[in-house]
Amino acid sequence: MPISDRIPVFFLSGFLGAGKSTLLNELLVDPSFSDTAVIINEFGDVAIDHLLVRQGKTTISQVSTRCMCCTGTTDLRTTLFDMYSAAQSGLTPRFSRVIVEMSGLGDPAPLINALMVKKTDNLSLSDSTVNQAFQLSGFVTLYDIINGEISIERHFEALKQVAFADRIILTKTDLAKDPATLSDIAVLPQTLKAINPSAAIVDRQKTKISELFSPRTYSVSDRREDVEGWLALEDVLATQAMQENANSHSKDSTHSRHASGIRTFSIIHDEPIPEKRFTEFMSTLQTAAGPKLLRMKGIIGVTEDTEHPRLVHAVQHCISDPVRLAAWPDHDRRTRFVFITNEIDPKPVHDLFSAIIGGAAASRKREQINLCQACKQCILRLLFLFKSKRREEL
Amino acid sequence: MSKINNPLAPKTNRLLAKSTEIKAWVRQLLELPPDTPLTVAELACRDEGCPDIETVIGIMRTGEPIQTIRVHMTMSEVTFDHLAEAVSISSSKSASSSGHFSRNS
Repeated sequence: MPISDRIPVFFLSGFLGAGKSTLLNELLVDPSFSDTAVIINEFGDVAIDHLLVRQGKTTISQVSTRCMCCTGTTDLRTTLFDMYSAAQSGLTPRFSRVIVEMSGLGDPAPLINALMVKKTDNLSLSDSTVNQAFQLSGFVTLYDIINGEISIERHFEALKQVAFADRIILTKTDLAKDPATLSDIAVLPQTLKAINPSAAIVDRQKTKISELFSPRTYSVSDRREDVEGWLALEDVLATQAMQENANSHSKDSTHSRHASGIRTFSIIHDEPIPEKRFTEFMSTLQTAAGPKLLRMKGIIGVTEDTEHPRLVHAVQHCISDPVRLAAWPDHDRRTRFVFITNEIDPKPVHDLFSAIIGGAAASRKREQINLCQACKQCILRLLFLFKSKRREEL
Repeated sequence: MSKINNPLAPKTNRLLAKSTEIKAWVRQLLELPPDTPLTVAELACRDEGCPDIETVIGIMRTGEPIQTIRVHMTMSEVTFDHLAEAVSISSSKSASSSGHFSRNS
């Protein structure tokens, strides 16, 4: 099959909170994307993202709550094969484009390697089909102008996402109003060019989505030399890991590529919550956790308006205003929060949630305390304060 | 003369700058030609009892398998001495192609 007949596959990347789900939502209501299949990969133990994406009639969504870059390349290839087979056999509509939304913590190297055609003997039917049916066509990375700089300074995955891109999209530029921020944005392309000289850098506000995902040829040789090095290194490390697993007779070929300080956990609550309470919970957590709260998403049932859940997002220091949804996205009407944190234990967060949401009305008068950087102690201290207030009220 | 801070100058990425520094140290330690490709990456470590993150250096000599050197700490923590120890461990393991260094070793 000639290359031009292959189905183009695009990666959509960007660090936690860069705006990937927002872009996907815009894209899926665009008629020109009606024949697009989407694979959403979440790094979290409870999947929420797929509920927050509006699905068009002809869109196929596949969700994995395991991080693709940790589970090796097989998950992506298997998913592509399954989608292709289902469409070929008429079980699902045919599609002519695939967009893979990577986890915000995703490392591009193993996923790019997964779609590189390698001449190997004894290819399985599924591998051979994927090689012939799909072509890596583009790597789009969203760069949040608010948190992007901190992300690429602190997280190697974020740096790699920028380095692998053939399109870098500056997001949240509409939030830039003051002269200092506008001046920072003016310098951004130069800063990003130092990491990736060949990628086109565009402002999300001035770009049509269809242009980002128009078929083209993606080549790693167009990127800086580090990119080819990372891919080669990835191959070597994968081989070493397989050998180690074989030597230890382990059946688990996966390993975590993320620092063990980064973890995901969820809170599920059966009953609706008074709106003021969850606002209080979120602001308290944000104050205590700060940049160590890498990402939080939640869908919340509120006591005052049970048919219309609230959607909440937080990225490091920034918590967006809750959005009132027109309806629940599925039959599950429980409140669900998913957290991705760095060096924050789940237990104090659970305890804080119980103290604020599960307890009697907490006093509105908040004690002024000097909070240190995000840490378990801060959250425990806040928990202690809430419990003290509660005892006083009782 | 005081240094002028140009607000319009592109910012240097700390991780990339450190990567460049580590490559220079590896070239010096192994006396590698300037055209030998090197790559530096920060990955989660799979070994039990090791720190969370390890820095992995790949040395890609023409016609040879890629040699890896692992330093069990974040890229920003790696010093010349750490690398020198990892390289010497790697060199002493003639049968193996990889060297490890950890703060506890």
